[in-house]
Amino acid sequence: MSEASGTRQSALIQVEQLTRVFFVGGEEVRALRGISFGVTRGEWVAIIGQSGSGKSTLMNVLGCLDTPTSGRYLLNGKDVSRMDDDDLAVIRNVEIGFIFQTFQLLPRETALANVELPLVYRGVPARERRERAKAALDKVQLTHRMHHRPNELSGGQRQRVAIARALVSEPSMLLADEPTGNLDSATGEEIVRLFEQLHKAGHTLVLVTHEPKLAARCPRAIRLSDGEVVADGPGREVALGTGAGVAAVTGGA
Amino acid sequence: MSFRQGFRVDVLEGGRIALFSLRANRMRTVLTTLGIGIGVATLLAIVGIIQGLNTSFHNQLATLGANTLYVSKFPWVFRGDWWLFRNRKNFTLDQVARIRAQAPFISAMSPAVQRVSDVARGDAQVSSVRITGVLEEYLAVSGYEVASGRFLTTSDDEVTRPVAVLGAEVASSLFPGISPLGQTVRVDGRPFQVVGTLAKKGKVVEENLDLVVLVPFRTFYASFGKGRPMQIAIAVEDAGRVKQYEDQLVGIVRRVRGTPADQPDDFSINKPDTLAQTYEQLTRALYGVAVGVGLITLLVGGIGIMNIMLVSVRERTREIGVRRALGARRRTIVLQFLMEAASVSAVGGLLGTVVGLGTAKVISLITPLAADVRPETVFSGVAFAAVVGLLFGIWPAARAANLDPVEALRYE
Repeated sequence: MSEASGTRQSALIQVEQLTRVFFVGGEEVRALRGISFGVTRGEWVAIIGQSGSGKSTLMNVLGCLDTPTSGRYLLNGKDVSRMDDDDLAVIRNVEIGFIFQTFQLLPRETALANVELPLVYRGVPARERRERAKAALDKVQLTHRMHHRPNELSGGQRQRVAIARALVSEPSMLLADEPTGNLDSATGEEIVRLFEQLHKAGHTLVLVTHEPKLAARCPRAIRLSDGEVVADGPGREVALGTGAGVAAVTGGA
Repeated sequence: MSFRQGFRVDVLEGGRIALFSLRANRMRTVLTTLGIGIGVATLLAIVGIIQGLNTSFHNQLATLGANTLYVSKFPWVFRGDWWLFRNRKNFTLDQVARIRAQAPFISAMSPAVQRVSDVARGDAQVSSVRITGVLEEYLAVSGYEVASGRFLTTSDDEVTRPVAVLGAEVASSLFPGISPLGQTVRVDGRPFQVVGTLAKKGKVVEENLDLVVLVPFRTFYASFGKGRPMQIAIAVEDAGRVKQYEDQLVGIVRRVRGTPADQPDDFSINKPDTLAQTYEQLTRALYGVAVGVGLITLLVGGIGIMNIMLVSVRERTREIGVRRALGARRRTIVLQFLMEAASVSAVGGLLGTVVGLGTAKVISLITPLAADVRPETVFSGVAFAAVVGLLFGIWPAARAANLDPVEALRYE
């Protein structure tokens, strides 16, 4: 299976035997214990698991905020598992659009300036930056609020600004960490619909969540438990535990 | 993204964020600035005043003449036993003539002998005037200029004529509004006829050169006794070769005075340089202490900056995490905080410069101290403050850059 997916042109993410070991107070904590899977371009995948399952660690590794202890991580054809800090910063800037549970907008900057930020670090000239940031805000229907600061926006609006910020640099994938966790259900629904639109438009989405209902709406879900992949299949079946067709994946294939 | 372009982005963005954050925390910025400002102000005021002292001292010394040597039995500056020098034999006029004859490099030469007396004209009187007995060439050696009448001549000396040339201040005090020429002044009751006056010359190290009355050398001896030691002022032809002439002069004077070969010199050759060196030794120590105090103040200011920057890093931990997640490299973060620290310091430096210069100026107005502030001092004040900011910003900036992005994003 890995052979087949490895040769596929459109494989965007390919992780093989990923492990991540922390040392906490002299004790070894194995947060990831040999994880392998692939994500093709244009897929919408949920990574689901209880707290402590290793999903946050996996998200940090997938987001190039952290490096694995062993194993390989190919992102868009590049082996990012052994890159140094500076190169990872560039990868984060170019390949990944982050969407956080707590939005993580800079409080003193306007919505527009927040959206421009990834382009600043890419060295895009100011005028082009502004145009592209406006276009991104337009995709989330927030151009009318672009000169407001985060504290003048509602939670849903803040998350839309964050999504615009993730979209503006046209990354290979959007990486969302509990994107509806700080929103009421109506606003959460609004954000999920936005994800559906983005998925239809061809964006690759990786969504990390502990909510089965949210994962169930994704075409595919991967369930983690104790640092291992315990299920990988259609979102509904993996998230809600229905159906017998879920591939149980343990260790390597 | 090329490295150069990356660096440009880092600097531009770093500078923008720095300004932004300075504006956002005005009160804190002002207080931090104050610390550095006081340090720079102290340093500049002290340096300005000392430079002023130096300049005025050197200007005064210049009036003594760079090509002039002063030979006498006393050195101008000495440590140890005064009576050792006092016991040296006095120079005589005969020795003066023989030195002159043997030293072709001397362009002008005159012995000078002095006492301090009151000078009177009728009821008017000037106190503490230096009555100086000199020869004709004294005019050339001393740098005085004749303002009216004539200078003393060799014939005045030979016949011990009771004539006098008045210093500018003596003339203006005793003869306000009228010409002193042909008039009589009394020194300790003895009458002298005024034949000339000198142009104003100013002060050298608190010594008023215009409070002087010049009389012929032998007249001085005849009037006030021969016991006083003379100082011989010698102008040489070429100021650039003073050192060489000085060495030759030592040999000539030893021969003339018959100093035995196994004995040290029984006279001293003095130069304005000697005074300058002594002065510099004195002020260098003062300078060192003063600059040390200023530096300590700056150090305290720098620690203030470091403290504030550490607070700033802590406050903005999440911001740092976000920036790192969005693609900021470590050095971008480092630059951001370094520029923030440096700009706070530079603003402080500028403020301190203004205050320091003002202080120096005020001190020079209300005290006799002269302040002299040079452009390079101002520049170095600001630059120095910025460097202090950079140095004390390094640690906080490094801490910011070394934050783990994952931890930073999670920071509450």
